Amino acid sequence: MGAAWLLRRLVASIAIIFAVVTFVFILIHVAPGRPCPENLDPAVCNELNRQFGLDRSIPEQYWRYLVALAHGNLGYSFADGRPVRAVIAGTIPFTFQLAGAALLLDFLLGLGLGISQAVRVNRLPDVVLGNVTLFIYSLPTFWLALLLLLVFGEKLRWFPVGGASDPVLCSVVNSLYCVGDRLWHTVLPAFTLGLVGAAGTARFQRAAMLEVATQDYVRTARAKGVPERRVVLRHQLRNALLSFITRFGLAFPFLLTGAVLIEWIFAWPGMGRLAFNAILSRDYPLVTATALIASTVVVAGNLLADILLGIADPRLRVRADTDLVPTA
Amino acid sequence: MLSAMLRRSAPPLTVFIVLVTAVLAGCERRGGCTGANCGTLINAAIGEPATLLPPSSEDIVASDVGEQLFLKLADVGMSENTLGDEDFQALLAQKWEWDGPLTLVFHLDPRARWQDGHPVTAADVEFTFNAYTDSAVASPYRPKLRRIASVTQRDSLTAVFRFRERYPEMFYDAVYHMRILPAHLLRPVPRDQWRTAPFGRQPVGDGPYRFVRWQPAQSIELVADSTFFLGRPGIRRLIWRFTPNLQVAVQQVIADQADVREQLVTPENVNRAREAKHLAVYTYGGSVYTFLSFNQRSPDDSTKPHPIFADREVRRALAMAVDRASLVKSALGELAKVPPGPMSALLWIWDPDIRQLPYDTAQAARILNAHGWRDHDGDGVRDKNGQPLAFHILVPTTSVLRKQYALLLQEQFRAIGVHAEIDAVEGAIVSQRTKSGTFDTAILSRSNDPSPSSGIAQSWTRAGFGGSNFGRYYNPEFERLVDRAVTATTRERARPLWRAAIETLNADAPGVFLYALDNLAAVHKRVDNVQFRPDSWAALLRTWRIPPDRLIDRDRVER
Repeated sequence: MGAAWLLRRLVASIAIIFAVVTFVFILIHVAPGRPCPENLDPAVCNELNRQFGLDRSIPEQYWRYLVALAHGNLGYSFADGRPVRAVIAGTIPFTFQLAGAALLLDFLLGLGLGISQAVRVNRLPDVVLGNVTLFIYSLPTFWLALLLLLVFGEKLRWFPVGGASDPVLCSVVNSLYCVGDRLWHTVLPAFTLGLVGAAGTARFQRAAMLEVATQDYVRTARAKGVPERRVVLRHQLRNALLSFITRFGLAFPFLLTGAVLIEWIFAWPGMGRLAFNAILSRDYPLVTATALIASTVVVAGNLLADILLGIADPRLRVRADTDLVPTA
Repeated sequence: MLSAMLRRSAPPLTVFIVLVTAVLAGCERRGGCTGANCGTLINAAIGEPATLLPPSSEDIVASDVGEQLFLKLADVGMSENTLGDEDFQALLAQKWEWDGPLTLVFHLDPRARWQDGHPVTAADVEFTFNAYTDSAVASPYRPKLRRIASVTQRDSLTAVFRFRERYPEMFYDAVYHMRILPAHLLRPVPRDQWRTAPFGRQPVGDGPYRFVRWQPAQSIELVADSTFFLGRPGIRRLIWRFTPNLQVAVQQVIADQADVREQLVTPENVNRAREAKHLAVYTYGGSVYTFLSFNQRSPDDSTKPHPIFADREVRRALAMAVDRASLVKSALGELAKVPPGPMSALLWIWDPDIRQLPYDTAQAARILNAHGWRDHDGDGVRDKNGQPLAFHILVPTTSVLRKQYALLLQEQFRAIGVHAEIDAVEGAIVSQRTKSGTFDTAILSRSNDPSPSSGIAQSWTRAGFGGSNFGRYYNPEFERLVDRAVTATTRERARPLWRAAIETLNADAPGVFLYALDNLAAVHKRVDNVQFRPDSWAALLRTWRIPPDRLIDRDRVER
């Protein structure tokens, strides 16, 4: 897994991102619906179309978009009236906050439960946890979100009903209280995303641990009298982490851009909600920009997962290196 | 093993939880405001505006916030009378007079100031009119100002409006559509860049409240201007908290995390709000009506008539097949009424005695039979010359209510042998298809301002072709009656003319007028002097107050 491999992956990644952006640009422009509200006078719509350059042909708009993009200009949001870069930059901290908290819960809880089940395989805790995680995994995320909002937000009032901060005291984070307030607002959406994710992670992790448990080197370690804790953590877990890392590489971009429903239900000002609104209002520059970022994150997530896999499993490193050697 | 690991991590975890709790509980800043003008009012708003610059936005939230930031010269009163000038309330204009039949002179209040200290002058009024009517600004209000020829300044406090023609709503047109803008701040901004101008995100106004901050996708905050020349507002701070959906907005009010939800929309939400002990529910007239529009032109070629809906008798039969009263009762209960024509409850021409087509399925069937629409092949759907009596109902996916209505209509049409297919699509697609005429029928909503003249003319006369008369309804007799009603000088003279016009339209059945919502608002009970003006719930916000003995924590907070 040398520099050449990395370079090859980077070039491929850029090509993928370019293809996605092109595809999304064309798709959103040819899709039915235009960025003009139902009740707006057609003459006003035409003037707005002219101002936003929508009266030009799609190839011309695409060329102008690429030129602007090359200069780091993502354009102006039709619906927001601000530069797209500023609009997206405003959502990124919230997206990372929610995705980070959800990922933490997903993998810490999922990993813990998976290991716990694997070391007690087919015993009562394993059976109970297996059914519980299956139940949670089967829950529609939006339904769980609505339920949590109703019970813990509206009825018990333990947590805020939507939003990312207390609008009275903490529209700007300027105190320790506001840091706590931000975390407090993160609990329900992160729990919703993280819990369902953790249920899936636990099932993956349990299966991976059990697969590794039958390997010769694990049996050998036990036969040599290595303490059980060391067998589990050093021999079993490390090798079972490969599927975990792959899952991480896929889950990270999903949480960053795919939490649309959760952000919608919890009125969370993140990128998923932004992208959803942009699609509904046919805000072309914003849709294309969110696609650009989403594809970049997906590609980066996969690249990161490959690198981590290489670190965790030296065999993959060798394979990747030899891959680059031209065959005769 | 895991339990052992958890046991080991328990103390640090406990310490962390205790610390966070301590931070949350102990570091909250307790406010000190305790007087008569304290108070924070949080509005649970749905959606977020793109800009707060009044000519560039028709968004509801932008309009509500704009009411607090930018004044009009005068505004309609609680009577919502738009004829003449006697029922209007003075705002920026201290007084006005007519200088001949086509000239209206406004004298500005010399106390009025922009919040940066500049006085409000007639130059601002002139600048505002020029901006609103400039095509580069692309203001949605521009068509409504077409009958004003010019606005000029006679001196720094006197603005002169000249009209192209004489009509009863001259004063209404002069004051209602424009919020006066600060020329000294906006003159340097190119007009075709107003929609994206930073001013729209950080406005400087002359109203009862000053802009404080806008947290994108979260909230807009305003603070009372204690020096406001028409009197200090009763509530110190106003916050619009944005949520993307109605249910969360209602939940925020019920959970006491917001104070106002100005429209509860569904019976279920109203019941929940009524059950909350800290909320009071207020009713005020709605400004929206919803109807099933029949497209009278072919969706494939707008120069040709629609194969079904160009026939007046078929439209009448379909309208008679719909039991509108039962639909309203089952879908909306007490929250809506059946409109007697294309109007919301806001309009003074509303009259339940206006003649409408009855609900009469037997008569509907007879009409269809008489016109050759019979079930010749026994498949349950009427047909004529091999063409089934079948069409599509276009409805936006975002409106639960309209989707529900589409299903109910489908069932009622099925009962008389008519097949209706539901096309539930995104709002943007509904907009595009209705504007381009590529639909059979569509369930549409229209919002009225207080005047029947502009809305009805735009949506139901030839003036609305290419505009919002999507079904391309045209009847010269109806247009003649509307023209006469619009020029009547008093309500007493206008009312019978409007009635005759609406009855003519109803007889033609260009659509089925389904429901006109009454607005029900939930407001925290600690708020006093709550008044809603039906055309704009936030118009009188500056008169709301919270008595000192009812203040809660968020009311006392100082920044």
